[in-house]
Amino acid sequence: MELRVIDKTDEELRIEIAGEDHTFMNVLKGQLLNTDGVAAATYDMNPEQSGGQTEPILSVKTEDGLDPLDALGEAATGISDNLADLYDRIEAAFDDAAAEA
Amino acid sequence: MADDFDVEVVTRDDRSARLLVRGLTPAVANGLRRTMLSEVPTFSIDTVRFVENSSVMFDEMVGLRLGLVPLTTPLDDYEVGESATLALDVEGPATAYSGDIETSDDLVQPADENVPIIELKEGQRLEFEADAVLDTGKEHAKHQGGVAVGYRHLQRVTVVGDADEFDEEEPNILRGVIETEDGELVHTEEFDADLTNRHPGKELEIEDVPSAFVFHIESDGSLSVDELTLRAVQSLRDRADELAEKVAV
Amino acid sequence: MMIPVRCFTCGNVIGEHWEEFKARAREGEEDPAEVLDELGVDRHCCRRMMVSHTDLVDVVSPYQ
Repeated sequence: MELRVIDKTDEELRIEIAGEDHTFMNVLKGQLLNTDGVAAATYDMNPEQSGGQTEPILSVKTEDGLDPLDALGEAATGISDNLADLYDRIEAAFDDAAAEA
Repeated sequence: MADDFDVEVVTRDDRSARLLVRGLTPAVANGLRRTMLSEVPTFSIDTVRFVENSSVMFDEMVGLRLGLVPLTTPLDDYEVGESATLALDVEGPATAYSGDIETSDDLVQPADENVPIIELKEGQRLEFEADAVLDTGKEHAKHQGGVAVGYRHLQRVTVVGDADEFDEEEPNILRGVIETEDGELVHTEEFDADLTNRHPGKELEIEDVPSAFVFHIESDGSLSVDELTLRAVQSLRDRADELAEKVAV
Repeated sequence: MMIPVRCFTCGNVIGEHWEEFKARAREGEEDPAEVLDELGVDRHCCRRMMVSHTDLVDVVSPYQ
């Protein structure tokens, strides 16, 4: 994962997240949209055959003075915490199923 | 993102499972499915050095078949890109099976013993040495650990009353897992996917349960279903951590 | 030629079931559908791999 900031103002950010695809970008976008202070979030990705920019570019627009990079950091931590919880639940569910069988 | 996850194993056997997860957003559900297919690495034969191949197939054809044989993958012991050595020597008349392949590491074994590689006639011989590489499904489909991984919404079926007596009874086909009024989880295969078998002469209401997904996870034998699922969650989480770390700097 | 190792469509390993399928349904008298059910080859993409396959090793071996 290589990050490259393309545009950055107080409330807007365009950043290239090289090496990722829809798998992670869509999760990230979903999380950003559920983050307080984020007005808009989207990502753009072109197919390999397009010949141009193929790495995903994330665009974030915030409100109420939130720094978009902070919003991004908050979203990433949010995903991580959620998945940590999910990991434990899935592990427990498989263990229960194994114990029953 | 809904915060309270609830996970239940609906059905389970050696190589497949149905997993109900509540509290997921569609984005995470899809992210998980995609990770299981393309980001969890497995071993697969990548390079073959033929010593002798007098079978009816060209080296390349045998090579392709070898790549598709699933190999058990001890993910704790290897990193992506590392390899294990395998070898096979069979002389006809006999059939060379995946089970005849010998490996340098006992933990890397063909997951199935009975896959025929090539039938050898009298006087034909197949001998080679091969390298199996640990890589992801993104690199090549032969490295996919999951087979036909997908998900559906959980569906709630409620009996709202009796069907009109003079209505012609039509099959009411439904696939996936349903939740009954008592909260019981039933796979539609149990009543032949036709709701009229389960509730004859009743009027039913079917709705998708919001943010509840039933995953169908099947493994090709290289990893257990538990490991495949958990590694996928972990892989997605690792990327979120990496991003958080890089943004913080 | 030889039975493909995996189903072309879904990637499930089907090669391991071929010899039993051949013995029971092709050379034997059993109903192919029932044999496939018992072998656990459930999806129709995998089933067609078995039903439509012909071994050709015997046909091509004289021309080596």
